[in-house]
This record gives sequence, structure tokens and C-alpha cells, in this order.
Amino acid sequence: MAEKDLKTILKKIHFTDDAQVMKQIVDQSLQVKLRMGRIRRKIVVMSGKGGVGKSMTTANLALAFARAGLRVGVLDVDFNGPCIPQMLGVTGGFEFAAEGVVPTTGPHGMKVASMAFLLRPTAPLRWKGPMDLSPVWLGLQEMSVVREFLADIFWGDLDYLVIDLPPGAAADKPPVIIGYLPELDGGIVVTTPSEVAQAVVRKSVVYARDLGIRLLGLVENMSGVFCPQCNAPVSMFDGDSADLCADLALPLLGKIPFDPEMARACDTGTPLPPGHRISRYFDAIAERVQSVVEPQAAAVSR
Amino acid sequence: MKFICVRCESFMTFENVEVPGEQSLGVTFGCSTCGSKVAMITNPGETAMVNALGVKIGGRTTPPAPMEVTRESLMDMKPDARPATPSAAVQQAMLAKEMEKPAGGTCPFSSMIAQMKGEGATAGAAPTFTWTADATARLERVPSFMRPMIQMGVENYARKNGITTITPEVMDRSKNDPGDLNWSAAAERRLDNIPAFVRPMAKKEIERIARERGMTEVSEALMEESKSKFLGMGY
Repeated sequence: MAEKDLKTILKKIHFTDDAQVMKQIVDQSLQVKLRMGRIRRKIVVMSGKGGVGKSMTTANLALAFARAGLRVGVLDVDFNGPCIPQMLGVTGGFEFAAEGVVPTTGPHGMKVASMAFLLRPTAPLRWKGPMDLSPVWLGLQEMSVVREFLADIFWGDLDYLVIDLPPGAAADKPPVIIGYLPELDGGIVVTTPSEVAQAVVRKSVVYARDLGIRLLGLVENMSGVFCPQCNAPVSMFDGDSADLCADLALPLLGKIPFDPEMARACDTGTPLPPGHRISRYFDAIAERVQSVVEPQAAAVSR
Repeated sequence: MKFICVRCESFMTFENVEVPGEQSLGVTFGCSTCGSKVAMITNPGETAMVNALGVKIGGRTTPPAPMEVTRESLMDMKPDARPATPSAAVQQAMLAKEMEKPAGGTCPFSSMIAQMKGEGATAGAAPTFTWTADATARLERVPSFMRPMIQMGVENYARKNGITTITPEVMDRSKNDPGDLNWSAAAERRLDNIPAFVRPMAKKEIERIARERGMTEVSEALMEESKSKFLGMGY
């Protein structure tokens, strides 16, 4: 007996595509577009090196935008080490509503979303399932989680969304973010003057540019320390980010000295008041960022 | 997913489902014309990969719940962030609905998985119970597609007994809870023959029938009588 032609059989018994997998995937991307379409500017804060102050920069840059009267959201994509809520003194959680996941409101009315709102306080990030240790599965899983953080959070209308990325020169988050957000306005790179940090940060700059991420500039953190006696800034490292910036054709957005008051503010979740010397540094950085991403608006506000 | 009997040029019908291993399901379909049977099992890895993409196996009948991939797969989640458990009505209606489906409509296997994972649950429903870390860890060891049913059973038991904190001891007690009905030894043996995957639903359905009839005991005769509702489930 000749083999039956499956195509012919299917025509007879009316095959339908119930799963519509491609439509489901397209719908996911559309949902990201719809949600992100209500946000004027999207910026990522990144660094190849851990511990240089990305989250501190993210939190304080967002505070500076908010102090300038802008509507701001902060998205903490550091799933393994989420610390934005603690730094901003935000203790709430998500509310799951029909229109999406409602973020918590922080200082100056800024909206905050973080993995910390989903995890028990001392719990590390762990996923269920038989493949929880498979790097391939983990990559897919975290890609979907990033997508859900972009697509499902009900930010409403915002002027700026500042996204805190995890460390890693070739981590998987930047390509996922740029994949879902081709309209990303740019990235801010954070480093310290340490030559060790700068060597790694240099790689992340090359990597980000390879991905097509426009880099807005570099923030040098721990750029000296305020002397407890005379209050004058004193150098902590021999290096200087100015050379790195010149070499990479990257604007130097600002240098932030280490200030114990800032460290305390981050640890206790009590943002520094407007007018504090560190707040003023970040106000200047926010103004420079704004002048790069929206030169006309910055000119008007000046 | 559908199965076609090439010889008879017709869709095969769902017959039964088993749990051959963690995160894996086995399902048997049969051709109602020639009697041929085909069985398939899902590979845990493949199932996990598809779920990680946020794609609903078998297609979506309702919009995705907010952060469903994240909330369904995150361990050690805060209690107020957990997805809501499907309502009792949704779960009780599920099996009967699957049984009534004509061959060739939607895929019975995948829609069963979809509903097991919480489709139809009330989004944002406030949790009433506090699960201790031990109890949560124990619940999380249950395959994800069975978790809502187990959770619902434990919470129903707790609600009935005025318990607000779920501990492993409460979970144990709920497992052996006869409720307001007694089960005869023979009926219990028959119940044990039903695959674990569908046993809680079958038990609830049989108990519902018994209560409707004002019975105080589930007998083997009632099991036999109810069998037509659960044809192919191995008891």
C-alpha cells in the first residue's frame, strides 16, 4: 500500500493551528513596544566590573532626574543582587492588577521595580524545574524574565526609565535589552579610577558598541574621598578616567568622590537631600545626560 | 498537538494520562475506528525550554497573567507575589471538560497542562494563608503542573479547620483528611489505582457526586458507577 500523503489527510480532516506559537512570540514583543512606547527616554547603567557603584549611580541619577521635576522609573535588572529598593528606601512590593504589575512608588514619586519585590528577603535567586542548572535553559528563562519586566510593569507615562544592569563585560542582559529595546537612548558606563576596573570596563564599552548601544558617557565613582578633617577631596587611586574617556572617545559625565554620608544614605535607604554636595554632583550628571539625549529640552530648562 | 490515525484518516481521541517521571507526562490516544493506540511522553527538558519562552503549550485561550513566567518559576517567592491558585470551580470543571471534548478540537493534553498551570485563576486574588518556609519548600518539590491542585486541597482543608498557617504537618493531615465522607477500604484501593496526576480531581468529583446524593460513604459501587466519567484512567 502506498504511503498516505499527510497533507491530503489534513485537508480532509481540517487541521487547525491551535498553538499559534509565532503569534504568541510576536504578541510578547508587541506588549513590550506598547509599554515602552509611553516612556520618552530609556537609559541603561552598566559596567563590566562589579562593585564600582552602578546601582548607587542608577539610584542617584534617577533621584536627580526626579528632583528636576521629571517623571522617573527605575528598573533593577540585577536579578541576582537587586539593591535599588534598599538604596531608595522602598519597602513595598508589586501589586498584580488587570492592567499589569504596578510598581512601588519611591522618593519624589519615582516608580521602582526590582526582583527584590518578588523574592523573600534573604533568598538567593533560584529557579524551579529540572533544568535549573542548565546554562542554555537559564539564558532563555532570564530572557523571558527581562521581557516580562519590560512588558508587564505598568509604568504609565514616564520621562525617564533608568535601568540598572548587572555586572559582566559580556553578560547576557545587554543583548536581551537591546533586542527588546532597539530605541534605547543610550548607556552610561560606571567605573572607578582603579586600573583593574578600567581594564574590564574598557571591554564592556567595546562590547556595548558592538551591540549597537549608544554610550552617553562615563561616570567615575570613588574619585577620591572627602578628608574627614578639612573636607577637601583626596585621591584614592593613581588612575584617572580622563585618559580612558579620551581613548574611547567617551564623554566624562562626572567624577563622584567617596562620601561616608552617601554610603550611609544608601545603606539606610535615606536618599541624600537636595543640595547635598553629592546630590549636586548627580544633578550636574543628569543635566549632561539630558543635554545629550534631548538637547532641545535641556536648553529650554536652562 | 494532535494525533492522527493515518489508516483511518481521523483524529485520535485522548484516552489516559500518566506521570512517568518528574516534570514529564505520558499520554495515550486511541483511534476510535480501528482501535490503534499511540502513547507519547514529554521530555522534561523540552517542556522546560518551551515554558521558559513564555509560550503557552497548545495555544492561549486567555491573555497571559502579569509576569507569569517569572512567578511560575521563581523559588523562594514572597507569599504575596505568588500566582493565584485556580479556583475550586475551575479545577473541578477541568476534568469533565476534557472528557467532553470531541476528537480533533483543541489538543486535550496541552490544554490540560495549560489549565493545570493556572489558566482561569483569578489574577491578583489576595492570599488567605501563610505558608511556612518548610511547607513552601515541600510544595515546590511537587511537579509544577500538580502544584495548584495540591495547594488547593491543603488550603481547603485548612479553611475547613480554621487554620491560617500551612505547615508540613497541616499538609500531612490534609492528605489523610476524609472530610465529611468516609471511604470504604475497597473504594480507597480503587482510588489508588488512578494515576497521581488526576487522582485529586477524580477524588473531588466522586465526593461531589456522593454529597449530591446525600451519601456519607464512598463505596466501591459508587466508584464503579462514576467510572464512565473517567474512562481510561486506570481504575
